[in-house]
Amino acid sequence: MSIEVNGVSYETDENGYLVNLEDWNEDVAVKLAEGEDIRMEEPHWDLIKFLRNYYEEYQIAPAVKVLTKAIAAEKGMDKKEASEFLYGMFPKGPALQACKIAGLPKPTGCV
Amino acid sequence: MSSPARNWKTIESGPHTYEEALHPVVKKNYGKFKYHEIPKPGVLRHVAESGDTIWTVRAGTPRQDTVDMVRVLCDIADKYADGYLRFTVRNNVEFLTPNQDNVEPMIAELESLGFPVGGTGMCVSSVAHTQGWLHCDIPATDASGVVKSMMDSVYKEFKDMQMPNKVRLSTSCCAINCGGQADIAIVVKHTRPPRINHDHLSTICELPKAVARCPVAAIRPTVVNGKRSLMVDEAKCICCGACFGACPAMEINHPEHSKFAVWVGGKNSNARTKPSTMSIVAHNLPNNPPRWPEVTEVIGKILTAYKAGGRPWERVGEWINRIGWKRFFEETGLTFDDNMIDSYRHARTTFNQSAHVRF
Amino acid sequence: MVGATDASSQEVHHCGGCHAEGNGNGKFLNPTPMLDELESGPWPSFISGFKGLAERTKKPMLRGVMDQLEYSYNTKMGYWKGGLVTVDGYGAGIITRYSMIKDKFPEAAEFHTMRIQPAPGLHYNTAMLRELCDIWEKYGSGIITLHGQTGDIMLQGIEQNKVQQCFDELNRKGWDLGGAGAGMRTAVSCIGPGRCENACYDNLKLHLKTLKHFVGVLHRPEWNYKLKFKFSGCPNDCTNAIMRSDLAVIGTWRDAIQVDRDEVNAWVEKKGMDALVNQVINLCPTKAISLKDGEMHIETRDCVRCMHCLNVMPKALSPGKERGISLLMGGKNTLKVGVNMGSLVIPFMKMEDDEDIEAFIEQIEEIIDWWEDAGLDHERIGETIERVGLKQFLDGVGLEADINMVSRPRDNPYFKAPY
Repeated sequence: MSIEVNGVSYETDENGYLVNLEDWNEDVAVKLAEGEDIRMEEPHWDLIKFLRNYYEEYQIAPAVKVLTKAIAAEKGMDKKEASEFLYGMFPKGPALQACKIAGLPKPTGCV
Repeated sequence: MSSPARNWKTIESGPHTYEEALHPVVKKNYGKFKYHEIPKPGVLRHVAESGDTIWTVRAGTPRQDTVDMVRVLCDIADKYADGYLRFTVRNNVEFLTPNQDNVEPMIAELESLGFPVGGTGMCVSSVAHTQGWLHCDIPATDASGVVKSMMDSVYKEFKDMQMPNKVRLSTSCCAINCGGQADIAIVVKHTRPPRINHDHLSTICELPKAVARCPVAAIRPTVVNGKRSLMVDEAKCICCGACFGACPAMEINHPEHSKFAVWVGGKNSNARTKPSTMSIVAHNLPNNPPRWPEVTEVIGKILTAYKAGGRPWERVGEWINRIGWKRFFEETGLTFDDNMIDSYRHARTTFNQSAHVRF
Repeated sequence: MVGATDASSQEVHHCGGCHAEGNGNGKFLNPTPMLDELESGPWPSFISGFKGLAERTKKPMLRGVMDQLEYSYNTKMGYWKGGLVTVDGYGAGIITRYSMIKDKFPEAAEFHTMRIQPAPGLHYNTAMLRELCDIWEKYGSGIITLHGQTGDIMLQGIEQNKVQQCFDELNRKGWDLGGAGAGMRTAVSCIGPGRCENACYDNLKLHLKTLKHFVGVLHRPEWNYKLKFKFSGCPNDCTNAIMRSDLAVIGTWRDAIQVDRDEVNAWVEKKGMDALVNQVINLCPTKAISLKDGEMHIETRDCVRCMHCLNVMPKALSPGKERGISLLMGGKNTLKVGVNMGSLVIPFMKMEDDEDIEAFIEQIEEIIDWWEDAGLDHERIGETIERVGLKQFLDGVGLEADINMVSRPRDNPYFKAPY
């Protein structure tokens, strides 16, 4: 599978995750978001940038609790509100949608 | 990706409600049962304080069921049990009826349909097991096939109640052992370290997570052909396969090097002795589909020895505690070897810290 | 026990519905000689079931999956890889499976599982079960596992583009997805007060209320790792809570075992004095039972509520009247620090009315809050307690230390106390 952005073709896996993480740029992100029926707005970009910075620093995607904590701290929300806010932006969950749009590897495993 | 427009708003209801799933006689006597008897294998008779009696007929199922099979079970429930049925944690199906006259015809019909009636009292009950090749993403074998083969060989022991106490079995298709602790458990044991796909590792795995997953700190970062990757200290590696779950580029499974081990003595009930975990008593058995005869043979040896030597109410682990491990290996014909000496954390708690010796 | 080799040649039965039509002789399925070996023998065969279903429904996915499974039986390797599929608003509950060899078996390209939470105690009426089957056959493969090891109904085999509609239709009928990932998981209860005379609390009700309370984090996991509840009605622990759950809720009682003298005498009359001595008195783990003037006497202060004598004499002996629960924490299997048995953290808690349930849920929230802060990524709560210390855990969640929490006091002097 692949997606096409500005005339360039980028390879994706069957879930639509970028195969080569270095292919990511903001236009690619917008295209990946379209595939998820998500319109990228400022809070989306904030979270995507948080994910990418975190990945750059630690080479892992942050645990969801790290995301909700960061959102809660920034917006003055409690954990539940932060979780609702997160799923409001990414209805199918941060693991599936936010990581995909941020160009991070697909989370693995069920155990 | 996008689904058709939805016209339903999700209700996050959690578990399905149970009250409508209880037989009216159960509902009437809910929490007020007085005692039970097992008049014959596969049949329970519960008596409530009110004097009401409810009969249960229990039968084995394949666990990997189909809508067709479930509908057949529903037909039985409608015909004999007023439309109610339930399942046990060992995948047996139960039909409850206040009408004693329904018991024998129900047994006859279940048996004629191929569902063995039994699984009660001092029997070998059905197997708690995992998914395997049918569905799991990290399996070394097919638990359902092993279980089918094994249950064929203990069919009689499922249907009667001739064991010293109940025997619970489990089967797991990797060393993580999702099948769980049991009197006798069959668990895959990998015998060599993971093979690493350096081309793909950095794109499909989060490296620090795979490093952190290793129980013996045998994984470290490296660079191969200019790509970030991981390497395994093979001398340290204990072949547990934990990294494979975190990183599919660290393949642990192998047709020849993923073997079977057999474990005994797990017990979760508090009855008599405290709950206990299992010990390994056989390993290096081949992964031999479609019927895994070597595994079934070991199970047969253990069950035969236990059936002959166990005293009433002794579970497998309690029987071994009484007769000692030395006699266990003698009577089952299995062989103790130095790999069975614990070398992991808390190993010394399994050493014999006494002068108690059996000759 | 019959030998391994002759087991498969025993009389063959086919379970009802295992061979709805054709039984593999039809033209729809490709040959599967290895799998067919699992159709012989007396135990009901899952392969016969799959084949019958495939021949009746002619679903290509079933043919593809049978082909891939046959291939696995030949190569001794698995060919599924994970992925991520969910429904709107949920971050978990669908176990995604793509074939790694879909070029070889295109019909097996997708084979996702929907985890569905059954009613506590695995009770069903046929109407709800038939409804579930009808919806599942409409959207999915028709293969159902009853039940998965965590306690879910596993609807196995659906394509991604049908998941949302299938879920919506199931959800309309009162079914909801089970857990997956680093959050609350589906729970398990034994039959409890729904038939068992030993049920020391209403585990079905506690299970339902507790899981409803935590339903948000079951669907949107955001903890360190998974967290599992199991609810057993008595210390026989038929759900294997102590080994299989982070939070093992096990029924118990505080007062004396209830004794029906006449029934004790009737039992001895029938089974004999030898049985009373050998099977009851001698097997009591704390020697709490003795003979006094020929009559069985139980010293309640010595009794640890192990259940043995009650199991042997169900008509004569019953749990006491002052009933409740014990909470054990930390049960888990091998991955990755080794097997961990749950250990006692609350020796007794009353569990009779809604107030007790509320107090229980509050205590659990306190415990989870502590774990969220103190735990590491991919660390089960028992592992956190082991790493940090039971004393520190008790301090963190506001529980008083109790001698019942340990098998004995420490055997080393390596601690600091504020004298």
